[in-house]
Amino acid sequence: MLLKTSLRSFFAHKGRMILSLIAVVLSVAFVSGTLVFSNTATGTFDRLFASTASDLSVGQAKDKLTADEQEGGAASTVPVDTVQKLAGLPGVKTALGQVMVQSAVLVDPKTNKAVGPTSGAPTLTGNWVETPRKSVDITSGSAPKGAGQIMLDADTAKKAKLELGSPLRVITKSGNYDFTISGIVTFRTTNPGAALAFMDTPTAQQDLLGTTAFTTVDLFGDGSRSDDQLKQQALAALGSGYEAKTAAEQKAENNKDVGSFLNFMKYAMLGFAGISLLVGGFLIINTFSMLVAQRTREIGLLRAIGGSRKQVNRSVMVEALILGVLGSTLGLAAGLGIATLLIQLMKAAGMNLDASSLDITWTVPAASYAVGVLITLLAAWFPARRAARISPMAALRDHGTPAEASANRIRIVIGLVVTGLGAAGLAAAASADKAATGGQWLGLGVLLSLIGFVVIGPLLATGIIRVLGAFLPALFGPSGKLAQRNAMRNPRRTGATAAALMIGLALVTGASVVTSSMVSSANAQIDKSVGADYIVAGQGMGAALTPAMVSAAKATPGLAHLTDAKELPANVTAPDGATTETKLVAATRTFTEDFRLKTTAGSLTAAFDGGIAVPQDWATKHQVKVGDQVKVDYGRGRTQSLPVGQIIDSGESLFSGAYIVNTDTVTKVVPEKDLPASIQLYGKAAPGADPDRTLTALQKSLEAYPQISVRDQAGYKDLIQQQVNQLLYMVYGLLGLAIVVAVLGVVNTLALSVVERTREIGLLRAIGLSRRQLRRMVRLESVVIAVFGALLGTGLGLAWGITSREVLAGQGLDILTVPTGTIVGILVASAVVGLLAALLPAFRAGRMNILAAIATD
Amino acid sequence: MTTAAKAVHDQQTPGGQGAFAASARQVTKAYGAGETRVTALDAVDVDIHRGRFTAIMGPSGSGKSTLMHCLAGLDTVTEGRIWIGDAEITGLKDKQLTRLRRDKIGFIFQAFNLLPTLNALENITLPMDIAGRKPDAAWLDQVIETVGLAGRLKHRPTQLSGGQQQRVAVARALAARPEIIFGDEPTGNLDSRSGAEVLTFLRRSVDELGQTIVMVTHDPVAAGYADRVLFLADGRIVDEMHAPTADSVLERMRRFDGKRTS
Repeated sequence: MLLKTSLRSFFAHKGRMILSLIAVVLSVAFVSGTLVFSNTATGTFDRLFASTASDLSVGQAKDKLTADEQEGGAASTVPVDTVQKLAGLPGVKTALGQVMVQSAVLVDPKTNKAVGPTSGAPTLTGNWVETPRKSVDITSGSAPKGAGQIMLDADTAKKAKLELGSPLRVITKSGNYDFTISGIVTFRTTNPGAALAFMDTPTAQQDLLGTTAFTTVDLFGDGSRSDDQLKQQALAALGSGYEAKTAAEQKAENNKDVGSFLNFMKYAMLGFAGISLLVGGFLIINTFSMLVAQRTREIGLLRAIGGSRKQVNRSVMVEALILGVLGSTLGLAAGLGIATLLIQLMKAAGMNLDASSLDITWTVPAASYAVGVLITLLAAWFPARRAARISPMAALRDHGTPAEASANRIRIVIGLVVTGLGAAGLAAAASADKAATGGQWLGLGVLLSLIGFVVIGPLLATGIIRVLGAFLPALFGPSGKLAQRNAMRNPRRTGATAAALMIGLALVTGASVVTSSMVSSANAQIDKSVGADYIVAGQGMGAALTPAMVSAAKATPGLAHLTDAKELPANVTAPDGATTETKLVAATRTFTEDFRLKTTAGSLTAAFDGGIAVPQDWATKHQVKVGDQVKVDYGRGRTQSLPVGQIIDSGESLFSGAYIVNTDTVTKVVPEKDLPASIQLYGKAAPGADPDRTLTALQKSLEAYPQISVRDQAGYKDLIQQQVNQLLYMVYGLLGLAIVVAVLGVVNTLALSVVERTREIGLLRAIGLSRRQLRRMVRLESVVIAVFGALLGTGLGLAWGITSREVLAGQGLDILTVPTGTIVGILVASAVVGLLAALLPAFRAGRMNILAAIATD
Repeated sequence: MTTAAKAVHDQQTPGGQGAFAASARQVTKAYGAGETRVTALDAVDVDIHRGRFTAIMGPSGSGKSTLMHCLAGLDTVTEGRIWIGDAEITGLKDKQLTRLRRDKIGFIFQAFNLLPTLNALENITLPMDIAGRKPDAAWLDQVIETVGLAGRLKHRPTQLSGGQQQRVAVARALAARPEIIFGDEPTGNLDSRSGAEVLTFLRRSVDELGQTIVMVTHDPVAAGYADRVLFLADGRIVDEMHAPTADSVLERMRRFDGKRTS
């Protein structure tokens, strides 16, 4: 019986439910889409790794203190005879020597552009051997033979518009090698984005390693022994200096690399899904509040004829349940669409995922329904409670919808207290000494100020809209006056509608304050502390600067000097005995002219005179002073004791947390041939040389290496701006969803208000309000609500952003930049959003039949 | 319509300034088509005299409200022509009709006459606000004085009694000095004392302020305040009465009911 009434009521009001439904659908779609997407991505990688992993992969044992291949170090290798040693072991069917490096760069000689992934996926170059477990098949051409032939994977070839017979250049540490494409291989499973290139084994050893050796030996068992048994046997046979990974270990390692990236994406997107759910919650609260208000008489009658409070409450909750279940179901379906869309987006960004099989595990519907239904029920609970409080007397009262009571005192007190606590939290964050404590206060302050603002929203609505709307009557006449009054008449409703918009805009504003401060601080830092005119660096993985490149750059006319910076892994031991694993920056002496680092004590020159520069945090923690001796361990028994020449301030942003030494100091214990390749070069134009012309000349010297970029200071600033912008646009894009839901909320509130005020509108039209004036009235109300929400949002966002900057001041964000343009943009955009949101409700109000409107009960 | 009234109307062209605040000729209003066609008004001719208080009476479904809505430009007619003062309103676009209602017509509805967001004074001046006109201060004072609302101008409608609300509605209708005021059962929701009060104000505004009023009612007592009563039945004007009293109207209604049931 109860269910029947609720069902009937739900479908009778389906028009009014539609926007709430959309909000639930959107939020749930985001949740389910994210889950399906990350499942699919994991599945793609799983299948790929499962298809490529050998039973056992044997390689050189990794020494932590040896530079990785990607950091400019040499690839680790095993001797050729390892293959024979392993092939003879019992249970081994096949043992294959593999050459596979990530540091080679593929270049199309015709365009002089790098070929391969732009998404951060690796370019794998190696030898072609037929293995029992292949990830690729030759689909055209033939396997490479001799020094001039290479095979490329189909995806990369297609993207770079290369085909059989096309030339391809491979740039390695030992030089540049030209090849002709002899064959194309195609992946058996979906390739997420890595580029693959194969040569014959002698060529690969010669060009990629510079020595006759293998990077790994892959074993395939005959099935008589488990992978673990094979591993024990292999390690026992080879002795120390080797490591072996079973298929399961290889998979786990690969998954760990990919997983951290996928997890970051997953949690970021779920975070935004959460925000849009929160925003959607406000929309649902408003819808049910209005439905309850409009049905006051009906509910009063139900109570008068003997319905209990519980029954009234339950009837509203059952309606919410229907909405939640329906919304979750549709959202689940829409989520598949979102997942497909995300997969396409990733494809555009260079990451292929297997779109043909979306992985839908039981967790997806479970999470979708849980989230959708719970949020709907939670949001409907407040209006349902209010409905249950309606007295039977309401049935007898006058027509029309009773005005909501203005914000009550308890609510105001709670709101003010929570807002005050939030403000106190932000203040504590701003004045905290340590960034970590500051961060905790910041989180607390953000949360409390947000809750506080939501709670006192209705109070603010009355106050701010009175001020905000004061000019409306003067500007827009009677429409303006009526709009202002309408926006103020239900403060709770206006507050909730605006709060939805506020959340998204507060986050956007906060993020833009922090990022623009980041950019301006970095720029100021560059102006202040960078003396170098040019910065030479590789792009992407494996793009270290080989000696050939360094000498090419050094030969450029017009350069006063070129500083060569390398990174090498080392253990640094303080006088108190504590050892820190780090990547030491080793640079040539002219580094001291290229950078003026923020200094707590000592000087960079002292550090380069046979000493070391250490970061302030470390120095404070281990009570290290200038002049103290620290021990540096470069591995393989190479150690030296160095005096601290400089303590680098923690506010230094270019080299924050870095340990810096002179390369000449390092070469006292580490032979030059064991040093990794350079990471960056810093150049300075000679006095009298034209800086721009020197930049062009330097770029020309390195023309043959498209993976290397040469920038002057302006170019470097642009790069930072670009990187920050990329992050910002992603945040904006995802928050856009929350704002879309909030706009739906404005549309929803207006549409329901128009329905609720049918009689009023009829009366206004009867006594002569024109359609245009009426539509303007609705639009202005919408704009007022939207701008009110935007004001709260930008205000809150500014407070958050400024406090965050304050907290991060010690981390190099020493300049606060408030992006005035962005904030003005947000306010103007919110007015436009208000206008757009009012389009449909205003149109409907204008079309209302006057007589029918007057006759409405 | 009586022969006399028709003769008066025929003498004057509906384009010139005449003795009629509103006129209808052969007005028919029908809903639906074919088999389901329902005729609410059937070729009605009517003239509303300037400066007079006219009541329209009739049983439910007689078409009295429809007639008023058509005369007031709230509803469109199926056939026939209607004039407000010297201007024909049939065939006007919504925009022109809206302006006509705003500038020339005042309304008093049975209930929900006032905007809850505006106070009494703001409600009274609303039509002029909408038109962007300044109210005539002296006239406004006089109207407010007449309806006895001087002390309650800052009150919101919810703070006023039903009778007071209707008096605000009467003041709003009068304040803009419309050519004609239409009342749709303006006392239908009031107790007899408040009703009498409102009717007295309407009567006084005709006598003292020279206002033209048309009122739809089914209450013989209310009709007794009018100068003239038109009786409607089945979409036609079946009779009229000058200088009516509550008793004579009641008597007429009884006869009328008897005729219908016979």
